[in-house]
Amino acid sequence: MSEPRKIPWIIKYRPKRIAEVVNQEDAKMKFVEWLRKWPNVAKKATLLYGPPGCGKTSLVEAAANEFGYEVIELNASDFRRRTDIERIAIRSSGARSLFGTGKKLILLDEVDGISGREDSGGLEAILQLIKISSVPVVMTANDPWDQRLKPLRDVSEMIAFKRLSKDDVIKVLKRICELEHIVCYNDALEFIAEKSEGDLRAAINDLEAVAEGYGKVELSLVKALLRPRDREHDPFETLRNLFSAKYAWQAKMALTQSQLDYEQAKLWLLDNIAQQYTDIEDLVRAYDALSRADVYLGRIIKTGDWDLLAYAIDMMTAGVALAAQNNPKDKYRWTRYTFPQKLILLSKTKDIRALRDDIARVIAQHIHTSSATAKADIIPYLKVIFTLNPEYAAKLALGLGLSEKMVEYLAGPMKSEVLRRYRELKQRYREFLEKTQQEVVKPETTTQLTTALKPSTTRKTRTTEEKRKKESSLLSFMKKEKK
Amino acid sequence: MWGIMSGSEVFAELLWAEKYRPKSLKEIVNQEEIVNRLMQFVKEKNMPHLLFAGPPGTGKTTTALALAHDLYGEEWRKYVLELNASDERGIAVIRTKVKEFARSRLPGDIPFKIVLLDEADNMTADAQQALRRLMEMYVETTRFILIANYPSKIIEPIQSRCAIFRFTPLKKEDVIARLRWICDQEKVKCYDDALEVIYEISGGDMRKAINTLQAASALGEVTVAHVYKVVGLAHPKEIREIMTLALSGKFIEARDKLRNLMVNYGLSGNDVLKQMHREIFSADLKLPEEVRVIIADYIGEIQFRIIEGADDEIQLTALLAKLALIGRRLST
Repeated sequence: MSEPRKIPWIIKYRPKRIAEVVNQEDAKMKFVEWLRKWPNVAKKATLLYGPPGCGKTSLVEAAANEFGYEVIELNASDFRRRTDIERIAIRSSGARSLFGTGKKLILLDEVDGISGREDSGGLEAILQLIKISSVPVVMTANDPWDQRLKPLRDVSEMIAFKRLSKDDVIKVLKRICELEHIVCYNDALEFIAEKSEGDLRAAINDLEAVAEGYGKVELSLVKALLRPRDREHDPFETLRNLFSAKYAWQAKMALTQSQLDYEQAKLWLLDNIAQQYTDIEDLVRAYDALSRADVYLGRIIKTGDWDLLAYAIDMMTAGVALAAQNNPKDKYRWTRYTFPQKLILLSKTKDIRALRDDIARVIAQHIHTSSATAKADIIPYLKVIFTLNPEYAAKLALGLGLSEKMVEYLAGPMKSEVLRRYRELKQRYREFLEKTQQEVVKPETTTQLTTALKPSTTRKTRTTEEKRKKESSLLSFMKKEKK
Repeated sequence: MWGIMSGSEVFAELLWAEKYRPKSLKEIVNQEEIVNRLMQFVKEKNMPHLLFAGPPGTGKTTTALALAHDLYGEEWRKYVLELNASDERGIAVIRTKVKEFARSRLPGDIPFKIVLLDEADNMTADAQQALRRLMEMYVETTRFILIANYPSKIIEPIQSRCAIFRFTPLKKEDVIARLRWICDQEKVKCYDDALEVIYEISGGDMRKAINTLQAASALGEVTVAHVYKVVGLAHPKEIREIMTLALSGKFIEARDKLRNLMVNYGLSGNDVLKQMHREIFSADLKLPEEVRVIIADYIGEIQFRIIEGADDEIQLTALLAKLALIGRRLST
C-alpha cells in the first residue's frame, strides 16, 4: 500500500511525438498528410492496419498530441445502437471542449474485432458515423482484408504498418532500461524481442514483468518467466493471467487477449474462483466482484445501455484478480482449472429439460400463466400427486392431454403404475366415445381430451372452429353431463 | 360437476385452479371496487387500455378473462389474444402476433378486440417502448390489458395510457371460504386448521393455495398432516442441506449441489431464494437470531438483483460464499 502508484510502462513510454514512433516512416508520412489536409481529403476516414504492437495507436496519439487534437476513443461495444452513434457524433463534433483548441478526432481501435461479433449492425453503425462525422475518424485493425470489412475499406484511406524488426524492438527496450536504471543484458533483450515477433507492446510488457520482479533483466530469468505469447490465450491461460495479475490493467488485459468473450469468461470464473482462492474472505470478495459484474450485465440487457459493459469487465477482471488480499500467494498457485460444469450439465440434461419445458407449456396454456410459473408453482405439486395417487394422476394426465413421456417424467418412481392406469383409462374413454351419439355444444375442457388421445407430444393450438367440429362426439356428452 | 364421466366413472380431471376459476365478473367475490368499475366498461361496451398490477394469485388474470367473457359472451376466446411476455421471444414476435390478430374484424357490437399481455413487467425498457407504439397503432381495433406484478417496472408512457387497477392481497377469510367451497364441490373432506395452514404457506396467493389444496386432496382428506406432507415433497429438502453445507464451510460441495438442483429440478433462482428465506427462520437451522436477519438481508439483495436481470447461478454462488464466511466467523 505504501508503494507509489505505478504507471504501466506501455503507457509511460508511449510516444509523445510522431518522430518517436519507431520505424514506420511511410505510414507516418501518409497519415500526417491526410490529417493535415482534413477535411479536404478524398476519404473522410483512415484505416491503419498492421500486426499488433507495431505503433498504429501510438502514431494516432502522438499525432493528435502534436497537432492539438483531443482523441475520442471508442470501443466496439459502443456500436450496438444507432442512437449511440448519433450521440457520439454530436458529442464529438458539436460542443467545443472545455480545454484545448476544441479539435477532435475519433479513434476506433480494432475494428476487425467487430465483424467477428454477432451484431453486424456494428459495422453499419461505423459507416454511418463516418458519413455524419464532422471530425476525422481513424480506425485500426490487425487484419483488414476480411470480406465483411469491404465497406469500411471502400470509405477509408488505407495505411499499412509493417511488422517491427527485432532490432527495432531491442532499441526501444534498451532505452527504457536506461531510463528506469535497470541492469539488462543483450541476450535477454534479444530473447524478449525474438519472442515478441515484432509486437512492441508485448515486448515492453514482458520487460516490465521481469524487471519489476527482479530489478534486473538477464537471460535465465527471462527464459524462466516468459511463456510463449499467443495472440489469443486459451481459457486456461486466460484464467492464469487473470488470477496472477498484480495490477488492474493486467487483469483487464488478460480478458482482452483471450479467446473468451466476457460471457464465457463469466462462466469460467464462476467455476474456477473456488479452485484458485482458498481463503474464505478472498473467495467472498472474488465472487462478490463477479456477481457485481453480472449485475451490470443484467442491467445492460434490461436497459440496452452498453456503456455499462466497461464496469462489468472491470469487476470480473480486476475485481476478481485483486480479491486475494488475505492470501495473495494464492494468486500464483498452480491449479488445474475446470471446464464450466454448467455447460456440461446442461448438455447432459438437454432432453429432460426439453421435456420439462413441453410440460410447462401445456400447463401454462391450460392455466393462463407463463411457463416459468408453471415450472415453479405447478409442476412440483403435479409431481407430488403423480407419485402419491396414480389413479388421480391418470385422470389429470387425460385432462391435461399429457404424452406418455410427460407422464413418466412427472411420476418418477411410480411411472409404470401411473402409465398402466393412464392407458387403461384412455382405452375405456375411447370405448365410451364410440358409444356416444353426436351433438354439438360448446367446448371448454374438451380440446385437451382429444389431443390426449393423439400421440403428439405437445399441444399447441387453442380452440378453433375447425377443431370444434371434430370434437362433436365429445361435446355431445358435455351437454348431458352439464345438466 | 365438470369432470368427464360415464355413469359413475370420471375420466378426466383438471387443475382446480383452472376448473374453479370464476368465469364472469359477477362471480368474483373480492376486489369489489375493481369489479364494479369493470362492469361499467361492460355496460358501456367500451374501455381504455388497462393495467392490472398486484402480487401473484390476487385475481388479475381471472378478472381479465372474466371481463372478456362478460364483454363478448361465450365466444369470448375469439376476441382475445393471450400473450405472456416471459414466453414470447421478443417484441418482434409480439408485434407480428398483434398485427395478425388486429387485422381481422369480427361481427358484433363491440368495435375492439383484446390483447391480454401477462407479465408485462418482464419486458425490457426498449421492448416496452415498442409495445407503446403498438398500443397506439392499433388503438382503433384493439385494447390492451397489461398484467404486471410490479407496476413501477412499467415505463411511464405506458402507465399514462392505461387505466391502472391495483389488486391487493386477498383476505384470509376469502381465501379459506373459497378453498372450503371447492372442497364441497369436489366432495372432499377438509379441516379448518388444514385450510389455515394452506393459507399461511401460500402467503395469500390464491393459485398456490388451490394447487396445494388439490395436491393434499390427492391423499384423501385435507388434513394438516397431508398439507405438510405435500408441501414438504413439493419443495426439495436439498435447499436446507445446501445451506448447512455452506455454513459449515463446505462451499464447493454446496455449490455443486445447488447447480444440480437447479438444472435437474428446473428450480429458478427465485424459487431457491424463497425457500432459503423460509429455512433461515426455521428452528431446524441453528443460528444466532441476529445472524438470521443478516442472511435474510443478503437473500433479499440477491433476489432484487435477479429481478433486475442478473444471472441466477452467479448470484446464488456469491451468496453461498457469504454463508460460508458467516459460518467461519460463527465457529471461531
